[in-house]
Amino acid sequence: MAYVATRGGERAIEQSQRLFCAEMGDITPDRIAEIRAAMPYLIDRIMGEASLYDEDLAALALAQTGGELYEAVLLLRAWRTTQPRISVAEPVTQDALFTHRRISAAFKDIPGGQVLGPTLDYAHRILATTVLDGQVSTPDPVTPAKMASPPRQPSVSAWQAENGLLSPATSDHLTGNDIPDVTREPLLFPAKRAHTLQSLARAETGGVLALGYAAQRGYGQAHPTVNELRLAEAEIVVTHPRGTRFSAGRVKVSQAEVVSKKGSQLELGFSATMGWNEVKVIAAATLDLNSKGAPKGSATEEEFFLYHTEGVESSGFCIHFKLPHYVTFQSSLDAMRDAKARKAAPEKSPEPAE
Amino acid sequence: MTPSPRSLTGWTHEAQLAVLARSDPANLKAFADPLIETLPEITVVENRTGLVMLPMRDTAQGTHFHLGEVLMSEARITANDHEGYGMRRGRDLEAAMAMAVVDLAVSLGRAGDDCLAFLEAEARAQADADHETLCRVEATRVDMETF
Repeated sequence: MAYVATRGGERAIEQSQRLFCAEMGDITPDRIAEIRAAMPYLIDRIMGEASLYDEDLAALALAQTGGELYEAVLLLRAWRTTQPRISVAEPVTQDALFTHRRISAAFKDIPGGQVLGPTLDYAHRILATTVLDGQVSTPDPVTPAKMASPPRQPSVSAWQAENGLLSPATSDHLTGNDIPDVTREPLLFPAKRAHTLQSLARAETGGVLALGYAAQRGYGQAHPTVNELRLAEAEIVVTHPRGTRFSAGRVKVSQAEVVSKKGSQLELGFSATMGWNEVKVIAAATLDLNSKGAPKGSATEEEFFLYHTEGVESSGFCIHFKLPHYVTFQSSLDAMRDAKARKAAPEKSPEPAE
Repeated sequence: MTPSPRSLTGWTHEAQLAVLARSDPANLKAFADPLIETLPEITVVENRTGLVMLPMRDTAQGTHFHLGEVLMSEARITANDHEGYGMRRGRDLEAAMAMAVVDLAVSLGRAGDDCLAFLEAEARAQADADHETLCRVEATRVDMETF
């Protein structure tokens, strides 16, 4: 075992951090407010991956890291550990969501109908370059309908179960601290379903998309159709010391069900996350749909996708390779030189004992 | 023996707390601040930020799982054996304390008319905001037709 010491390391490290931050300038309350207001979908993505919902903290993490997403998520995960857990809220159910967007690609006439909500799905992808010439790009205002959309919508899968297309989901009735929690228990395989869904909820979006896309392109066993996609707000229902249960506010959530035919019935894959991030939940639900019986080492195998989509661990492992490995690499070079030397040396006749 | 908490006419405790938790923080603080003088001596039991884990039920198999944690501010106060409680999203300890003060005032039966007026105004503002949001959502409704 050997070590390499770096002279002047402390000064160089200090200056390198200053160099990183110098480009971004002052971090001010106004900047945080602007990031929060201007980039809600980026804020949502960060909060989901950090598994910590607070728009101001997410905006601060983005400002402090210059938009380096892995660092921003790491900052938030680290900060989270400084806070006590006050309680576990009542479980959110699909039919209680305050719904902003609800679509189905499987059935056009779902109970409650379809509302597109906020989306760029049908937008022309044209960059507003006139802004760079000094003009202000002001979005056209929404023309509100006279009637309000129902705040809560029925569940498509419950309707399918009533019509014999799906096996009805039976609640496990777990609440509070009885619900398995990957932040307090190790992730073991085969994983508890609660661990799988929680891990996907906090997974890195790009990683989930890459593996979900692989399954969608044919490297999985089931082709997904979006049964129901929702962007909504969920109530955080907590308990007053007197026992009164009440909503202490709302948070944005995304939820996707994907469906595939299996025998005479349909089979569902499910995913949900905090914040509005529909690419992630569709890809994650595809992985959930495909995970049962997936071959070992395939993109849709639970252990494979859960380990490889944990953003803090995967990015941390990846970037550790740039840290000094001089001694281990030198050892590899020594072994390589020895092998070369042995190959170049004239063959000796074997000793009688060999 | 713990005295029975009072309530506001026409309001459940649940509805009162839900409106306070979502009310505008500046309005809430401005309303709660002068209320303090009308109350007996207050003991602060807790005023902190912390996390509330939010679980969800999966629709495929009925499994409850954790979506993630939400940053909340909490305040818990007492006076004359009555308890006031506040819990709101975010890291605004003053707003959580203001919520607890209003909850305590209602429980003690103090400034009932003022509390009622405040809650009704905030409830109306929240309902209007929700209605406006849902009218904008309704504008995006699609009717599918097969040809």
